[in-house]
Amino acid sequence: MKRYCPFHSAFKIMKHLIKPFEEVGKNTFRMIILFWVVSLFLFWFIGSSGERHLFPSPQQVLTGFVELYNEGLVVHIGSSLWLCFVAILIAVIISLIISYLSTIPIVNPIANAVSKLRYLPLTGITFYLAILISDARTMQIWVLVTFMSTYLTTSLLSMVSSIRKEEFDHARSLQCNRWEVLWEVVVKGRIDHVIEVIRQNLAIVWMMLVTVESILVAAGGLGFLIKNSDKFMNHGRIIALQIVILGLGLSIDFVLNFIRKTFFRYSKL
Amino acid sequence: MSYSKENTLLYVENLSVAYGDKVIIKDINFVENDIVREGSTTGQVICFVGRSGRGKSTLFRALTGLVKPTTGKILIADTLTEGGNDAKEVCEGDVGFVDQKYTLFRNKTVYEALTFALRKQKLSKEEKHEKIISYLEEWGLEKVKDQYPNELSGGQRQRTAIIEQIFCSGHYMVLDEPFSGLDVGNIEDAKKAFNMISSLHSFNTIIYSTHDIELAAELADSIYVIGYPTIDGEHANYGTIVKHFDMKELGLAWKEFGLGHIEVVKQIKAAMLAS
Repeated sequence: MKRYCPFHSAFKIMKHLIKPFEEVGKNTFRMIILFWVVSLFLFWFIGSSGERHLFPSPQQVLTGFVELYNEGLVVHIGSSLWLCFVAILIAVIISLIISYLSTIPIVNPIANAVSKLRYLPLTGITFYLAILISDARTMQIWVLVTFMSTYLTTSLLSMVSSIRKEEFDHARSLQCNRWEVLWEVVVKGRIDHVIEVIRQNLAIVWMMLVTVESILVAAGGLGFLIKNSDKFMNHGRIIALQIVILGLGLSIDFVLNFIRKTFFRYSKL
Repeated sequence: MSYSKENTLLYVENLSVAYGDKVIIKDINFVENDIVREGSTTGQVICFVGRSGRGKSTLFRALTGLVKPTTGKILIADTLTEGGNDAKEVCEGDVGFVDQKYTLFRNKTVYEALTFALRKQKLSKEEKHEKIISYLEEWGLEKVKDQYPNELSGGQRQRTAIIEQIFCSGHYMVLDEPFSGLDVGNIEDAKKAFNMISSLHSFNTIIYSTHDIELAAELADSIYVIGYPTIDGEHANYGTIVKHFDMKELGLAWKEFGLGHIEVVKQIKAAMLAS
């Protein structure tokens, strides 16, 4: 009878896990995730246990959380989320109008030009916006809107151009005039894609939101908190804030994905 | 089998389509008439065969009005006028079109898609509902009426696309390679669909393309071979009709596949290889 050897068995599993394109079961995948999370925390604990360390210790981060909470973290989160929501809403409306109208030959160059503006530096634009707008909050919104619109327009233009010719032909063969084709195929037929575009661009938006808030600190928000903590070299608070920002970003991403999958059954991207 | 040729249903004269300097099809001429057989309603089943890249899809886009001819004209019978004797130039939406991928609105269920296809018909909401349900039952789609295209099989998508066009586009329907990617059962369903459309009205005209020459010979009553013509001993680089088989004149239309059909298949293959 063959004897069971745990090392041999573990070696066989490991060999299986390091093979490219190998499919693994759900439980194995969960174990892999758990392994990496535990490794990360171990690295963090060990890496921050000595006298000289790059990252703050978990204890320092926890203290940072408590301090931030006492200083009104929830209010600042609310402020950032509201800014994000308003800016996204305006930027999406502008980008959608530009993208949908890009199917009209005379508007197409304008849409493409808006997309190219994403290479413009933030500083130049903020200078002109500062001349036009006096209120800090409005300024933050429009800085975000200006930049988000360029990224969103780029993605939405790509969405429109990726629609197969057969879909337009199908609508035309059903006696749709050109405006109906635009409405049925591009506008109604791609609402789920718009949500996906927002989701994909959210990371850029979220990153810019913090930057914009840290430039104009008057209106508060997570960017203001991070700038403030940075000034006093409070590493525990900085990492605590980074975790909050990452968590919020991922939550919004999850919610948008959930909305797309729940409300648009036909959406398989 | 006795038949007579009545009104002209499709008249194509000197048709050519070019994209910029590139001529895709040229000198396409053909006429198809309403075929009348005693004791049965018979529509027209016209098949185009040819090797890849010879311009079949471009010809179909022109026949459906989706692309404007560079030269020539395509006339269809104006069936809305009494007698159906008047001719009109084909426009977008006059001729139904089912492409190779059986494209449907991705955001509409089968029922919603068919309701949309009926939107221009002067029927009450109840009449439209009854018409849709009756077609869904007849075409075996009643169980999937609330499903989206991504939840349908290839055959179900194809049948939905065909009904959409029946509802919307009068008597003409163009199908680009309707048998590609279908299994044996679905091919039988598609053949049944052809018979159903054909038996609905004498003016009903199905135009399709296929790479399955046996199916072309079995189903069509008129077969056109599209290929590169030979001019001064050399192949031209545009597609045109190089051969026509009138299965009615050959006495092979509306008959079970037999030896006569096999001979036609041989000739079609030879014509295709030579062009």
